Amino acid sequence: MIARKPLQIFLAVQKALFLRELGMRFSVSKSGLFWTFFEPFMQVLVMVLIKVVLFGKAGDNFDFAAFLALNFTAYNMFRNILTKSMGSFTANKGLFVYKQVKPIDTIIARVMVEVFITGIIILSFIAIGIYFDFDLNIQNLPMVAFGFVWLVLFSFALGLFIAVSNTFYPSIGRSINVIMTFIMFGSAVFYTIEMIPTQIQTLLLYNPLTHFMEMIHGHYFLVLDDRFVDYHYMLLWTLTLLYTGLWFYRRLEERIISL
Amino acid sequence: MITLNNVTKYFHTKQGRNYILKDMSITIPSETNIGILGRNGAGKSTIMRMLGHIEFPNKGSITSDHTFSWPLGLGGGFVGKMTGKANVRFVCRLYGRSEKQINEIIAFVKDFSELGNYFDMPIETYSSGMKGRLSFGLSLAFDFDYMLIDETLSVGDARFRKKSKEALMQKIEHCHVLLVSHDMGTLKDICDAGIVVNQGQMYYYNDINDAITEYENINKKAG
Repeated sequence: MIARKPLQIFLAVQKALFLRELGMRFSVSKSGLFWTFFEPFMQVLVMVLIKVVLFGKAGDNFDFAAFLALNFTAYNMFRNILTKSMGSFTANKGLFVYKQVKPIDTIIARVMVEVFITGIIILSFIAIGIYFDFDLNIQNLPMVAFGFVWLVLFSFALGLFIAVSNTFYPSIGRSINVIMTFIMFGSAVFYTIEMIPTQIQTLLLYNPLTHFMEMIHGHYFLVLDDRFVDYHYMLLWTLTLLYTGLWFYRRLEERIISL
Repeated sequence: MITLNNVTKYFHTKQGRNYILKDMSITIPSETNIGILGRNGAGKSTIMRMLGHIEFPNKGSITSDHTFSWPLGLGGGFVGKMTGKANVRFVCRLYGRSEKQINEIIAFVKDFSELGNYFDMPIETYSSGMKGRLSFGLSLAFDFDYMLIDETLSVGDARFRKKSKEALMQKIEHCHVLLVSHDMGTLKDICDAGIVVNQGQMYYYNDINDAITEYENINKKAG
């Protein structure tokens, strides 16, 4: 057999895993696939309705539907990367008999699938936005895109960290599912930090995800800005999680393979 | 050449450590087909998995400049919810095969494994014999220096067993096998040399017949 370079092997493995994950999404669970694409529309619709009922139609100086679409897309991506990474080692245990498949590969492939699905959701939101004339004037597109890419990296780092811990302490995974619901309410997903009373602001800004949300919608809407975003704080979280996640993974890789 | 340097491997059990290998150093020469013998639980499969780099020694190292197949056992390495065909495609992609090669391999495996309609059904509907047939057929499509075979030859009915054995005989003209089996006939037919695993040690024999004799002695002693 011709020897392949490590990068070649990595890419072949990624391609195989990516197509496999995608194929499973499409073939195994039809209802799961439906919800993947229908959920963000439902979330936006429900929240818009709640707002109209509670506060009436008038109010904002930005497009609330577009605001929700943007935030839910980012939040869902974060949540899905996290939950998919978490169960990745156990779900793909059988594949570790092929020595070129490293546990971390399965996480990377799952992250890529989520990014791909998020891309499709963004495209469909844009299509709807154009058709119904929602606010698509982006203040600073590169920064919004950068926010998304950074969020992918952050979610991957957190996902890896939890995946490794979850393998040895399964109760961690269960608590994460509960925590995720609370995180959504405390992450500026359907409000901006500016709308919140000052005392609570400080509390919410301890949550790194709040900063990502503020960064993404702050650079999207002309009337919003990123005054609450602490980029150093975000960087600190990302690097710390990435470092500790990779460090634990390196130490425990062999144990995860022979699980 | 496969070299084991001070390899120690154990599993934790309630009675303490259960040693598979204890500070074992051995060099296994190349260019031979090797049968691995040992009593149940002696660690034959674990050694196989260590050679396939999916199990790791607690101490020491195993080095070799050869390529090894994944351990061919009873249907490990397949995803239950995917069809046989999708699984074959997946493994081909792992080994970086082009789409054209993949289609050839799929045709070959489908033909060899004789799964018929089951080839397009999820693996979870397969019997263990069917999984073994698929696994063995798939492995024949790749070239490794060593094939790690764990009892797969005892899969299927007598006719299929004969067919697999013939295919393997053909295959070992240009590659080698490490074979775990309890069937002395198969071992004698296929292997030249043998390894006996017993109580934390591995013993290498240039002649498979010596290995079998030794194995039978161990069995007699144990009663």
